[in-house]
Amino acid sequence: MRPLTDDETKVFFEKLTKYIGRNIVHLIDRPDEPYCFRLQKDRVYYVSESIMRKTTAIGRQNLISLGVCFGKFTKTGKFRMHITALPSLAQYAKYKVWVKPNGEMPFLYGNHVVKAHIGRVTEDMPEYQGVVIFNMADVPLGFGVSARSTVDMRKVDPTGIAVFHQSDNGEYLREEDALF
Amino acid sequence: MDVTGILDEHKNRFKSIQVERLVPVEFDLGLLACFDVNMIDEAQLRASQKARDTYLQELSREGAQLMINELFSLPTTVDEDSVYATLPAIRTVLPREKPAPKEKPMTRWEKFAKIKNIQNKKKSRMVYDEDQGEWRPRFGFKGVNNDDQKPWLIEVPGNADPYDDQYKARREEKKERIDKNKRRAQRNFEENLAVEKGMKPRDMRKRELQSALVLSKGSTASMGKFDDKLAGEPKVKGLKRKFDPLVKNSDKEKSNNMEILNRVSKGEAKATGVVNVRKAQRAINNAKRSKKQE
Repeated sequence: MRPLTDDETKVFFEKLTKYIGRNIVHLIDRPDEPYCFRLQKDRVYYVSESIMRKTTAIGRQNLISLGVCFGKFTKTGKFRMHITALPSLAQYAKYKVWVKPNGEMPFLYGNHVVKAHIGRVTEDMPEYQGVVIFNMADVPLGFGVSARSTVDMRKVDPTGIAVFHQSDNGEYLREEDALF
Repeated sequence: MDVTGILDEHKNRFKSIQVERLVPVEFDLGLLACFDVNMIDEAQLRASQKARDTYLQELSREGAQLMINELFSLPTTVDEDSVYATLPAIRTVLPREKPAPKEKPMTRWEKFAKIKNIQNKKKSRMVYDEDQGEWRPRFGFKGVNNDDQKPWLIEVPGNADPYDDQYKARREEKKERIDKNKRRAQRNFEENLAVEKGMKPRDMRKRELQSALVLSKGSTASMGKFDDKLAGEPKVKGLKRKFDPLVKNSDKEKSNNMEILNRVSKGEAKATGVVNVRKAQRAINNAKRSKKQE
């Protein structure tokens, strides 16, 4: 376990800003308790400082997980978000998409969101921006990348892809062994 | 019939070929150029656009007129259909495009020759070959020092083995001479390189040797782990990755993260104050253009 280097932090923040923009500030600077980002075996964990201090007693080989896993650095140095980061993303998301009840299951099985399943969309959403997907009861289901801007979405036919799938809650079952 | 009136009228239609200049104008006819060092009337330049244009036109006409006058005073040759003036050589010195070449550093021999005051005697390129009865180059293609000019018989020197091949010895001797010269040239090159870098040649050689040693020692399958240590072998220090301490001042970490976030969200260029020159230029040009249109 170690803090992120400046370069790693930059890559990580660049990815995170796609979903929550400047709201990263609220993750860094919390009123309740100091939190920090720590790297353990290529994975970035968002963890309160008190817990982090306690885990320093555990060896690198033995430490499996701490705090909330936000994602991992790939071998090529890019950052990939994991579904475990969803609660934080959902809280601060800039762009949101709500899917109708008949679109929930297809998305949770790992498919893209088609236009026919979309119930509501944030205004002024640009193309290829990170979005968080909710069901109509405002429960976050996953996240992805917008395939069209809000304006262009009206022109797409009902079977056209509106949001590219990146991660969904179904991964808690499908990727159970590799997730943490 | 009196035609003076008509002639005068015809003459008045053209401007005079006589041009008055306070300071005589200089010419470089080889370049078809004329240099006018007279003062320019600034009042005319600052006047209205029209006055300025006519003034400048007049100025350039007069300059051209002067030059053409001068051209007609040159010696001419007459061809079948036209007359050619012979231009003199160019007098104006144009600066060279590239910087002047650097002086070559002296070789060891040149340094020695300077101290001992040895002058280079120029040898003629061609030598008279008495056997063939003709002139041949001293070296190079068909040169006298080539092996095709070898003697048909070589006397065995004093106490040499009579069964040794004297032709082979001759060949090898020449090869040795060439190799030696190459080694000397290489040494000169390396020494001059060291001086250029501000090091002593010996130190540079030592450093290069050590780096080569380190490289070769690490080139075995075990990366030099089982190699015998040499006497005075340099100690290799690898690059160590350095990370921040795991537990550190949380305020400092926070501010560091904030700084990175600012850089990410603003874009790298804006945060570091680096200016995109092309973009800035375009903005200035656009502003100028819009001002002009007003």
